[in-house]
Amino acid sequence: MAKLHIDNVALRFLPKGGSPLTALENISLDVGEKEFSVIVGPSGCGKTSLLRLVAGLIRPSEGAIYLDGHAVTRPGKDRGMVFQSYTLFPWLRVEENVEFGLKIAGIEQAERKRIAQRYIAEVGLEGFERAYPKQLSGGMMQRVALARALANDPEILLMDEPFGALDSQTRSLMQELLLKIWEHAHKTVLFITHDIDEAILLGDRVYVMTARPGRIKEKIEVDIARPRSVEVLTSDRFIAIKRRIMALIHEEAVRAMA
Amino acid sequence: MLPFVEAYFAPKTDIPRRVYLSVSTLVGVLGLALWCALAYGGLVRPDFLPTPVAVVKAGIAGIEDGSLLVNTAASVTEIMTGFVLASIFAVPIGILMGSFKIVEASVEPVTNFVRYLPVSALIPLLILWVGIDIEEKVAVIFIGTFFQQLILIADVSRGVSHDLLDVSYTLGADRRTVVTRVLIPATMPGVMDTLRVTLGWAWTYLVVAELVAANKGLGYFILNSMRGLFTDQIFLGIMVIGLLGLIADQIFKLARNWLLPWAANP
Repeated sequence: MAKLHIDNVALRFLPKGGSPLTALENISLDVGEKEFSVIVGPSGCGKTSLLRLVAGLIRPSEGAIYLDGHAVTRPGKDRGMVFQSYTLFPWLRVEENVEFGLKIAGIEQAERKRIAQRYIAEVGLEGFERAYPKQLSGGMMQRVALARALANDPEILLMDEPFGALDSQTRSLMQELLLKIWEHAHKTVLFITHDIDEAILLGDRVYVMTARPGRIKEKIEVDIARPRSVEVLTSDRFIAIKRRIMALIHEEAVRAMA
Repeated sequence: MLPFVEAYFAPKTDIPRRVYLSVSTLVGVLGLALWCALAYGGLVRPDFLPTPVAVVKAGIAGIEDGSLLVNTAASVTEIMTGFVLASIFAVPIGILMGSFKIVEASVEPVTNFVRYLPVSALIPLLILWVGIDIEEKVAVIFIGTFFQQLILIADVSRGVSHDLLDVSYTLGADRRTVVTRVLIPATMPGVMDTLRVTLGWAWTYLVVAELVAANKGLGYFILNSMRGLFTDQIFLGIMVIGLLGLIADQIFKLARNWLLPWAANP
């Protein structure tokens, strides 16, 4: 049985004073245990909405979502999320941010500290435990956000273009860091991006979405051996997959413009 | 272009601290010099414009006979009571109003109506209802600041990032936790700034109320001095109000840095 099962989900809403809009339609997909799945699509295709549906932050108009066989009805700590925007709590120090979920779960202080310390080390931020978010760079803030999500030990990690706001050098460092963490934490991940290189580099499989209304257009297996590093970006296999995804996205972009 | 224009007149560019302080001091000294020239040069009649020395003397006399201290104490008591009362209610209600539509629906229409009523126009009514003692001043300050604070704080609360609340839910927080541990702390810098700004407005309402009817306070002190053509005392009263405002502002600034060291500077 799939870890995450999205069953024929649709999302419609009624904009103020407008006609009903279909953001997502006929979305079905399965994410297996410890699998890294990536969704790419043109902007406005509803990929962020899809992730928010899985998080339980919004409810689908049709269909249902199951995590480990249980229907998702509300947000919960079994589905940790990293946002594109900076979402650290500015009033909490780095370690307090990472401990946030543990603290509200009632875990005692010594244990909290131990777990937080481990994930802060994992994202390479030792020495910054006592810093406030305003003292960190964008890349560092996203690393803390990742540590905070991981410290909660979620069943699945939802990532919504987490490196979208970073410059390209920082972004590729973050991708390598994420690959490294994923290799040994081995979490189930659902990752959203519009960056095709990022999708192929990180994912076991890549779902390409159509322009609005968003549907799953194609599922592409990324049969590139792990562990991967940024070197695979220039391999023949990578380029072949990239060519295919680009063609699919291009088709959609053209269709959306028409 | 002149070299100093070239160096110091670029928009949004820092200038050396030394230059900054020199310019500030220079302008202060020039202002004082202008005052002295007008007063001592006999260009303006002394009962229109007192000399700086006369104002200082009036200050010393006011301290010696106690009138300055009594009136200052009266005004400070009134303003603190009114301001603290308004803030105690405005901060929590404002935070809820900005984040809960149901609170907004119940509070906002009334607030928007009342906040456009000029408080000064309500003073005669308040005098009829509660007299001219401290209760009336507190009422004027309360009405004048409460509704403004409410709107400003609701805006602060409305501006708290939605993602910040959403990420808390995905970390396992329930609604109550999100409100107490995320929404409220997130509004604190904006709340502090609102209090700082509205305290300045509260001074204006207080003085207006005291000018209309009072038997003590700095506004009363100024009005009473006018009756005897004691312009030196009028100047003294205005300066004391300015000085108290400056002190309060500095206290707010220090408190913000001390209480909210994590917040970005405004």
